[in-house]
Amino acid sequence: MDEVVRIVEEEGILHKKPIVLEGLPDVGLVGTIAASYIVEKMDYREIGYIESDLFVPVMVIHEGKLKNPFRIYSDKDGGIVVVLSEVAVPPRAVYPLTTALADWFHKIDAKLIISIKGLPVKNRMDIEKPEVFGVGNNEAALGELKDKQVEFLEEGFIAGTYAMMLWECTKRKLSAISLLAQCYPVYPDPGAAVSAIESVKKFSPELTVDVGELLENAEEIKLKARDLMQQTTLSAPEMQKGVEQDMPIMYR
Amino acid sequence: MEIERRIFKATWEHNGNLEPLYEVEDKGDEILVTFDLPRVRKENVKINTTGDTLEVIAKMSDAVCWERWGIVQKKITFQAFRKQIKLPEPIEPEKAQALFKNGILRITLPKVRRKVLITID
Repeated sequence: MDEVVRIVEEEGILHKKPIVLEGLPDVGLVGTIAASYIVEKMDYREIGYIESDLFVPVMVIHEGKLKNPFRIYSDKDGGIVVVLSEVAVPPRAVYPLTTALADWFHKIDAKLIISIKGLPVKNRMDIEKPEVFGVGNNEAALGELKDKQVEFLEEGFIAGTYAMMLWECTKRKLSAISLLAQCYPVYPDPGAAVSAIESVKKFSPELTVDVGELLENAEEIKLKARDLMQQTTLSAPEMQKGVEQDMPIMYR
Repeated sequence: MEIERRIFKATWEHNGNLEPLYEVEDKGDEILVTFDLPRVRKENVKINTTGDTLEVIAKMSDAVCWERWGIVQKKITFQAFRKQIKLPEPIEPEKAQALFKNGILRITLPKVRRKVLITID
């Protein structure tokens, strides 16, 4: 067991070319809020966890039970896998984590990897219904985005876990997309998570989750997510998140 | 490491106040400060500013009670957000403006600045 990041899965789990939803913390905690809500409302089962010496030495307690903050869930049919975390990803762990996850996605023969993320916008306060944009890592992924009528980013930089996730999946010939919902840069954004979930549902008809309760409980979620948001914001400069606002030099 | 250190610094106080998430941005001629204030109504927000500090006290419409939570606390209730910020530059308090929308408070604070036109020889 000398891997830098170890993905530990329960024995006997069957995967049937699953769609993977990745909701690791990033701007607006869009992925974390969306992934947690999906897991709770769809009653997905915890099937594993991720551990690494590079992660902060933190465990969480839920209902008296000790849990790893980096967890993996699945539906009962093995068609959907969800990866989420309740603590920020340390910048030094991004490369080994995304490499290990992409290796595992390849091993379970994932059909499509969807990273649920936020797209920070300065005028979020004036936006009632956040829009969702997509980034695809290959022709098949771009085809999926077009098919589902998700507008995709055509130029720019992307940074953080989802950027490296797309790249690591590309190297393993796995189709991956990132769905980016317009969000507050440094505040938890349940409204953006609602938009993101509505987009994710287009890719998986089995996801019948109703977002009503997420909107109703938005303020409660914002209160509970404050500390994770602060951790995530602190790691943003090292993640080069600022570069996402930059214009790339001439390309191709 | 910054993240690890942050985990041990609580964003709440025993006096029933929560520290809100906030952001300070230097916009050149002005300083823009925003606060995330869930469960707060506009009429319950108090903003005080001097030339170099900004204080926000925002009472929640319903107190937040977290039970069965934490290692040091079994139960804790919060009624308000409170934060005082030392501003990076002096501002003109009389010209400050504030907007509250969807739980976000945005305060615009013009800097004290005396502009002098430089002519080119």
